[in-house]
Amino acid sequence: MRGALSLKPSYYEALKRLTLELAGVRMGSDHAFLVETRLASLARDEGYASLDAMIEELFGSGQTRLAVRVVSALVERDTHFNRDPQSLDILENFAMDALSEVRGGGRVDILSYGCGSGQDVYSIAMRAEARRERGELNNIKVNITGIDYPSQALERARTGRYTHFEVQRGLHAEDLVRWFIPTGDDEWQIVPEIRDRVDFQEMHLLSGLEDLTLYHAVVFRGALSHYSAPAQVRVLRGLAKLIRPYGYLLLGTGEHIGEMHFGLDPVAGAPGLYRKRDVVVPVVEPEPVGKQPTERRTFGPRKGKDHRQATS
Amino acid sequence: MTDTPHCLVIDESLMVRRVAARIIRDFGYDVLDAKTGQDALDMARMRLPDVILLDWQIGDMSATDVIDDIRSLPDGEKTRIIFCTAQRSLERIRAALSAGADEYIMKPFDSDIIESKFRLAGLPVIRVIQTDAA
Repeated sequence: MRGALSLKPSYYEALKRLTLELAGVRMGSDHAFLVETRLASLARDEGYASLDAMIEELFGSGQTRLAVRVVSALVERDTHFNRDPQSLDILENFAMDALSEVRGGGRVDILSYGCGSGQDVYSIAMRAEARRERGELNNIKVNITGIDYPSQALERARTGRYTHFEVQRGLHAEDLVRWFIPTGDDEWQIVPEIRDRVDFQEMHLLSGLEDLTLYHAVVFRGALSHYSAPAQVRVLRGLAKLIRPYGYLLLGTGEHIGEMHFGLDPVAGAPGLYRKRDVVVPVVEPEPVGKQPTERRTFGPRKGKDHRQATS
Repeated sequence: MTDTPHCLVIDESLMVRRVAARIIRDFGYDVLDAKTGQDALDMARMRLPDVILLDWQIGDMSATDVIDDIRSLPDGEKTRIIFCTAQRSLERIRAALSAGADEYIMKPFDSDIIESKFRLAGLPVIRVIQTDAA
């Protein structure tokens, strides 16, 4: 495989560094062939004569927009409908049920962090809508927002159109005929009732979270291990702040938030699902401790940031 | 691994039978193939397959008759029937599902699609683990 690469090894190393710095993602050896195929397609899209020409421009001019496009193409992972179905079952059967009880109707907002080409977003929307149609979940309307870097994948997610190959990966034939319409040019378009439940936003995944509103559930599946250790903490801390007090964080099967709890408690019997602790009113000390808190307020890398207080 | 799962591919095209069989063997299955519905039913009576890949277009009988005959065999309800066909209209997919098919593959297919549809139908798939050695 390596022999097929045309890109200079020094460029490859530089792309690895750029991806780690910008997205906090470590490119593994399995990324080697992706560099060529994905960036070649991006280079064509961006109007460069060749992949080399684009990379030279990237490292020559240091264009931020181009760097983000390149990195987002590199960190995009191959995905499909109903990926890791066990964890989606947990979202559906634990979190959605609990939220529909707490909400007693109305709306539930879910964030899909790093939504790529959108299959996760639509998979959740189809499950929620199917249950609502069956008269379950207290008739809540589940809205899902997918966020990711500006990328070709996100543009495709917005269209809700998928190829012949994409609709056959992870999607039951029954769901295909229920939720998709053939477009006539070998693609399938998600039906309007599902499209109305979703939206997609471009965002820098590491630094843009503070601009978001609060969600009843945040879905971040199958990507944690790709992040460097400091980026993992940064992402989890950022996501925890976006969750409403009785809301949930869903990781993938086999993923854990690790030693730091970020104000989240694991839900018994639901691996990968974490529940936000109730609102902590900062003035009240629930348990007096011998050691007085110091003046230091934050352990994060960003100075002078106010703590967003989660309220419903 | 005493009980290797068994797959039967029914398709008029030799090319499709060969390609599908090669992919499905890699999932850990014994694969037999048949050009006609009658051949397929004879094979199924000898050994009931765990899964059948079936085209709408088989010369000697209708695909829905093949499904009915398979379902009427002892334990025939347990066999997973997956359409694998060039017909891609909503009507044909709906017709296949209401005739008792478990899943539907639209040609052209690749190994990812077959693997996905096998899993969706609750069938085991053994993947050879790829190493980084290369």
